[in-house]
Amino acid sequence: MNIEVDTRGSELGPSQFEDADGYIMPIAPGTGPRRIPLSDFPTGPEVGALLPDVVAVDQHGQTVDLHAHRGGQPAVLVFHRSAVW
Amino acid sequence: MAAYQAAGVKLYALSYDEPDAIADYATANGVTYTMLSDPDSAVINDFGILNTSIPPDDHPWYGIPFPGAYAIGADGTITAKFFEHNFAVRSGPEQMLAAALGQAFEVEAAAPVEQVSVEISFEGDKLPMGVTREIVATFRVPSGQHLYAEPVPVGLVAATIQITDSPGILTYTALAPATSPLTLAGSGDTLQVYEGDVVLRLPVAQNARAMEKVDGVRTVTVSGTVCWQACDENECGLPASQDFSFQVEAGFPVLPDMGPGEGRVPAMNGAAHFKKMVDRRKQS
Repeated sequence: MNIEVDTRGSELGPSQFEDADGYIMPIAPGTGPRRIPLSDFPTGPEVGALLPDVVAVDQHGQTVDLHAHRGGQPAVLVFHRSAVW
Repeated sequence: MAAYQAAGVKLYALSYDEPDAIADYATANGVTYTMLSDPDSAVINDFGILNTSIPPDDHPWYGIPFPGAYAIGADGTITAKFFEHNFAVRSGPEQMLAAALGQAFEVEAAAPVEQVSVEISFEGDKLPMGVTREIVATFRVPSGQHLYAEPVPVGLVAATIQITDSPGILTYTALAPATSPLTLAGSGDTLQVYEGDVVLRLPVAQNARAMEKVDGVRTVTVSGTVCWQACDENECGLPASQDFSFQVEAGFPVLPDMGPGEGRVPAMNGAAHFKKMVDRRKQS
C-alpha cells in the first residue's frame, strides 16, 4: 500500500529538520520513523467498543493478559514507538 | 504516576521493543507502570494501527504503530482515544487519567449562578516539547440559559477557547461534551447547544521555538481568550469573553538513552539494543 506521506518542512541546519508544526528533529519529515500519512490513518477500535485482548510479556519477563491484570479497574494503554529510540 | 495510583487507574505502555530492552529501560528509569513487549507487532496489528506508510524492508522502523493511547473504563470498554496527526505530539497524562475516570467533562455541583461565569485553568504543571496539556474552561451557566457549539450563524458567538497566534504554541483538536439540537422558531435553523454547565478542553503543545528563560527556568507563555454568548428561550445576552495567560515551565523532550548512560546505574544500553533490533529484523 502506497500511502502519501507528509514531507512538509525544511532543513534548518545539520541534523535539524523542522516539520509543518515547527517541531525540530534530527530526521527529515517523510524519512525513517518520521513518516506521517497526509490523510487520515486508522486509529484502531472505536470508542465504546470493548478493548481487544492484549497478551504480552512485561518488563519482569512475565506474560500479562491486560484485562485480567487490570482486574476491573480503569486503565490507560499507550502505544508508543520505542523505549530504545 | 502517583495520581494514577491514587485513582486506582492502571497504566500500560506497549511497544515493539524486545523484552530485555524494556527490562533495561524500566530498571534504568525506575518505571512503576507496566511496560509490554510486542516484538513481532502482533498486538499492534491486532489493533489495526501498524504504521503502513513505512515500507516493510525499512529496518528497524517497520513494525511501529501510529502512536496513540486508549482510555479504558472499569468495564473494559474504550472511553476515549488520543491519536494526533503529528507523531512528535503525545497526550499529557492528566488528560488520559481524566478520560479513564470518565471525569473529562464533569462539573462539580455548586450553588446556581445569576450569570455565566467561567474558570479557565491550565491542566498540568509543565509543557515538555510535544506533550499536550489542556486549557480547560469550566462554564457555570444559569438555569434556563445555554451556550452554543460551532457552527453558529453570523451575529452569534459560540463557546470556544482561542489561543493567541504564536509560532511556538500549537493547538490540537478541541474536546467538548455532547450537544443537543435546538431549532429556532423564526428561521427554522437548527443549532447545537450545550445544556447547563459546560467544560471545554483545548490541547496545546509547544515545539521548543518560543521558550524563554525566566529566573533561570525555561518557560513558555500560553495566552488567549475564551468567548461565548448565552441565550435563553427568548433572547440572547451580549457576546462575552475572558482573557487568560499562563506562564508554564517548559523543556526539551527527554531524549532516548543511546549512550553509556552517565549518571544512571544500571545503564540502558540503548545502542546495543538498537543494533540487536536492527539485526533481528534484517534476518527475518
